[in-house]
Amino acid sequence: MNNFRDIEQLSSYLDGQLNPSESARVESRLSSDPELASAFDDLRIARGILRKMPARKAPRNFILTRKMVGLKPPLPRAYSVFRFSTAFATFLLVLTFAVNAMPRVSFGASAPLAQEAYGIGGGGAATEAPAATEAPAMEMPLVATELPAASADSAREVGTPTPEVSTLKEPENESALQNQAQVHAEREAVIPVIWQIGLLVVGLVSAVIAFMISRNARKKWS
Amino acid sequence: MDETALIQTAQHGDLDSFNTLILHYQDMVFHTALRILGDEDLAADASQDAFISAFRSINSFRGGSFKAWLMRTVTNACYDELRRRKRRPTTQLEPDTADGEEMDSPRWLADPSMTPAEKSEADELEHAIQHCLDALPTEFRTVVVLADIQGMDYSEVATAVHVPLGTIKSRLARARLRLRECLRSFEELLPSSFRLEGERNL
Repeated sequence: MNNFRDIEQLSSYLDGQLNPSESARVESRLSSDPELASAFDDLRIARGILRKMPARKAPRNFILTRKMVGLKPPLPRAYSVFRFSTAFATFLLVLTFAVNAMPRVSFGASAPLAQEAYGIGGGGAATEAPAATEAPAMEMPLVATELPAASADSAREVGTPTPEVSTLKEPENESALQNQAQVHAEREAVIPVIWQIGLLVVGLVSAVIAFMISRNARKKWS
Repeated sequence: MDETALIQTAQHGDLDSFNTLILHYQDMVFHTALRILGDEDLAADASQDAFISAFRSINSFRGGSFKAWLMRTVTNACYDELRRRKRRPTTQLEPDTADGEEMDSPRWLADPSMTPAEKSEADELEHAIQHCLDALPTEFRTVVVLADIQGMDYSEVATAVHVPLGTIKSRLARARLRLRECLRSFEELLPSSFRLEGERNL
């Protein structure tokens, strides 16, 4: 029985992969060893059968399309400029909304700020305002004792300032409210709306131009 | 065809140059995949995957035998396909005859250069060889397909399967021995020159 080292050598000899001295040694052994010669024939037959196998043609063309390999058309430099300007304008627009929203949030959330705004804008009304709020409170017990059987609804009505008080304090209240509205308006207009519209227009125009450039490049490419 | 120039332009992203290379190599690639996988549809899929993968990684080709480099991509695609098949085994749709034999493939009937008897014989022989190839371990099968069916030399095969030359020699010898053993059971299908009595006349 031949060992595997012999078989390996025979296989290499069959393919002409041995150097001349190794080939000569194998040839002499083949002529003297029938078992080795038989093994050599086996290898040669196996190789011969495989080489005789009909070559099969490809059933279709395997040529690649740009889509298959994910190739993108070369875009002009202007495309990246417009794409950047779109992104930047969008970012700024979002930022303007954020900045405009921030004071409103703090204004509505904390009472001291509201009072401060009231004071700054109200001037003399700041001293009047507590009186206006105190007046109904002082009158309330009086009314409550006069009408013990009054319903909850009427009590609520009683709790509101009397027409006399309202008319008395109305001018001060009105000016205070006006001042408050002014403060609101000033706070809301940290970044003017016109700027936001401008950024929106810049963003949209840049996006449209970038899209057109990209579409033209793709059309040319295909 | 100036292969080197085509490779260089393909490396710069020129798909047309690469497609010219594909047209040149596609039969060889498909035939290799078919012998490794033993299934025409799987071989076509693996060939397509191999070409896509080859284009994407063409910049990794640093000279030498392009055929060997391409064959490496093909064998990798075939191994991936075999792994997929192992995970999700499929049932063949080709009907069998009453004897349990696979029915003749219509591709032979469509070949105008052969008589029906020749087509039938060739088909049977091809099935027998493919059966024996399929019985080999994958790494042996790949080496024998590249060396004996595609006629690549040892160094090209070593590049294609990424193993040392000594391993190629050893795998090839083992694969040939096993194939010979397997093909003995199909002796009557073999051409006369390959039968036992004709061995000495080769």
